[in-house]
Parts: sequence; C-alpha cells; structure tokens
Amino acid sequence: MRRTVGIIDYGAGNLSSVQRAFHALGHRARVTAEADVLDSADLLVLPGVGAFPHAMERLAAAGLDRYVTEAARGGRPLLGICLGMQLLVEESEEQRLTAGLGLVPGRVAALPGGGWHIGWNRLEVVGADPMFRPSDRESVYFNHSFAVDVPLPYRAAVARAGVELVAAIRRDRIVGLQFHPEKSQAAGRALLARIVEALCAEGGRA
Amino acid sequence: MIQKRLIGAITVRQGLAVQSFGYRRWLPLGDPVVLAWNLDRWGADEILVTVTDRGGAGPDLALLDRLAAAGLSTPLIYGGGIRGPADAVAVVNRGADRVTVDQLLHDAPGEVAGIAAALGAQAVIAALPVAATPEGLAWRDYRDGADRAPGLAMLDLFGAGHVSEALLIDWQHEGVPGAFEAALVPAFPLHDVPLILFGGLGEPEQTARLLAEPRVAAVAVGNMLAWREHAVQTLKAALPGARLRPARFAGAAA
Repeated sequence: MRRTVGIIDYGAGNLSSVQRAFHALGHRARVTAEADVLDSADLLVLPGVGAFPHAMERLAAAGLDRYVTEAARGGRPLLGICLGMQLLVEESEEQRLTAGLGLVPGRVAALPGGGWHIGWNRLEVVGADPMFRPSDRESVYFNHSFAVDVPLPYRAAVARAGVELVAAIRRDRIVGLQFHPEKSQAAGRALLARIVEALCAEGGRA
Repeated sequence: MIQKRLIGAITVRQGLAVQSFGYRRWLPLGDPVVLAWNLDRWGADEILVTVTDRGGAGPDLALLDRLAAAGLSTPLIYGGGIRGPADAVAVVNRGADRVTVDQLLHDAPGEVAGIAAALGAQAVIAALPVAATPEGLAWRDYRDGADRAPGLAMLDLFGAGHVSEALLIDWQHEGVPGAFEAALVPAFPLHDVPLILFGGLGEPEQTARLLAEPRVAAVAVGNMLAWREHAVQTLKAALPGARLRPARFAGAAA
C-alpha cells in the first residue's frame, strides 16, 4: 500500500537520499518542518547527520522536539536514522551531556576505544521481530563515531566491530536504525519496505 | 565485523568522467552520473567522485544534484573544491555521505577541523597524493607540483580526531593497472589510521595482497571498473579472501 512519509527537516543533512529511497519504494515522501504537513504523514522519519547537541538545538528551535515526542507518545509511527536514532534516547555524551527526546531508555556514548565504525557490517537480529528477522546477517552501511546503548528489550539488531554495537532499536511503533538503510542498497531498501508496512499497519495514523 | 570496501572511483574534469593517467592525461568516458549509476547497480561499497578542476570555485553542486536525482543507494564520497565547513555541509545536504579534502590540508587545516565539527570526523577523509622516496613519503601539491614531507599540521588532524581515514593516492602510477606502489602503505607515518588506497589498483592479485594489510580499510578502483558490465562483481569474485562484502548480481535496474 502506498503510504505518506513525513521526513522531518530540521537542517541536519542528507534528506534527499532518504526521500528518494522512499520514492523508490513507491511511497510519497515529504521533506518538511511544517506540523500540518507532518500531521498528514503515516510515518514520521527523523534523519540526521552531525553532532547530537546541535541537532537537538535545531529541533528545539523549530519546535519539532515537542512535536516528535507528542506524536510518538500518541502512538504515531516514528523512524530515526543514524543521528536520528540517537536523538530518540534519553541523553548523549557527545561534546557535552545533552538531553535527547527520551522516547526510548538509553544513552549515547563514544564508541569504545574511540575511533569510528565506517563501512558495511553484518546485522545480527535480536529476537523474532518479523520486521527485522529477514535482515539477519545482511550487510548494511554504517558511518558513525557515537553509539546508542539501550536495555536489552529495546535492542532489535546488533553489529560487531570488536565490541557489540546496537544497530537497531524498537519500542512499540518507534524504530531506530544506526546505519543508513537509504545507502545500503537492496538490503536497506528491503528493510525500509518492511518497516513502513509493519509500522503503518499497526493501527494506522493516530 | 566491519568489512573491507571496494570503492568505485570516478574522476571528473570539465564536467565529464575521464580516464586519468597520473592526473596528466585524460580520456573522456562520458557522463559521470551514468558511471555512478552503474557502480550503484553493480554493488560498489562506496562511490568516490573527485572533481579535479574546481580550484577555488567551490564544490560542483550541480553534479551532486544530478547524482542525487539518479537515486543512488550506495554511499557517496565527494571531493573537489571544498573550501571549508559551509561547502562540506552543502555537499552533504546534496546527497554525499562523506567528503575528501586535499588543498585545504595544505592551506587551512583549521577549516578541516571545522568540517569535522559540523559533520563528524567519520565524514572527513584526507586525500593525499603521495610518492615513496628514499627519504620517506613525499606529499604532492598539485597546484605547484611540489613534493614535501607530510606536514605536522596535516598529521595532527588525525591525532586530534578530525579526520577518519587517509586516501593514499599513488599519483605516479594512477591509470597503470597493477602498478600501485605497495611501499606507500608502510611509509605512511600514522600506523593507527585506516587507509584507502587509490592509483593503479584493480589487478586482482595485487589488490588482494593490499587488502590483506591490516591498515588497509578499502581500495578505490577507477578506470578498470569503467569498461565492462558487472565490473564490481567480477573483481570481487576474484578476491575471495579479501573480507569484502560478497558480490551480488541484482541485474539491470528498472
């Protein structure tokens, strides 16, 4: 079914790639900061590139932090990608301790030992969630230096880079992906397609 | 475990993708967007687009718009004309995932730190045209043709965490299959910096040998991927032990 995706524009990077990925899947995708446009979306997408504190400042300046938290707490489907996933949790240590949206229990910290997690890595899906299960052992593209830690019940997938890293999280109709599904070729597109259908099918628009 | 990467490299000059020979001679290949589209379809691990004639004109945003319109699902690295954080942010906002910086490393290392602050250091790659000499690594400035020892200001960018990877370009052998100078790898003085190798690569035996080096995170191949269908899959299939993401034949795009 063709869905409407609202890509939240708060000035944090590469939105066109995300938009085109949803278009390629046959969905409508609107990049906007306008609440009334976002209100019409079946799925909200929070992308992001850059540093956590700056992103939270931009969200707050546009009033979008409140919009996103109220929408998600009201049961609307929400997908965070890369930095957008990190913004979903309670706080981050990047640059300085900064509060996140607090939609999923967890914390963002630098990768153990510092450095970066750049390139293609295999997902290890945690649990039997049919949204994620077909992606088990699929390679997807990561590009980050800070990582989310969430309690086990919220972990949907992990990846290994010397240590175990949280690659995907889920809390009800809130999903976060540390990697870039829009830049993960067929594996990423297939996962995005399942996320849209699964989240939007579980109750529709709030 | 993170996999090593086979990067498809596209060199652009005067708006056209070109086959480059040591950055001294060029043969036209055609529309860079078509080459990128092929690399995307064949499953390259990243696509590196380098525009060599931007100088102080800033990045080629029109090209980036055309690349974005192609709907690539492969991570894109862009280099050429980036003058500071504002340019780098504009490049990422146009669809690139990472940027390479070259002349800024000579002229304004502080600007590179600013790019890292804006985008994160994982998005920043230092592009270093180098040659191996008896005195050590010689770092070329294309503008005046001078070769210098890698400067401390540039090397400090790695130590300070402003740059994530070094793209070692064997400019002398670029365009000559199998001719990459392997001595460049041990000659690079920072042994904990992940390396991307480019220039004269693509011959399977040598490429496999270089990918086996622990410091080498990726190889970038240009000319050899431009001339045949499924060139990425074919090369990956010839590198079975290289810890690359396996080749996948997806067929022609709709």
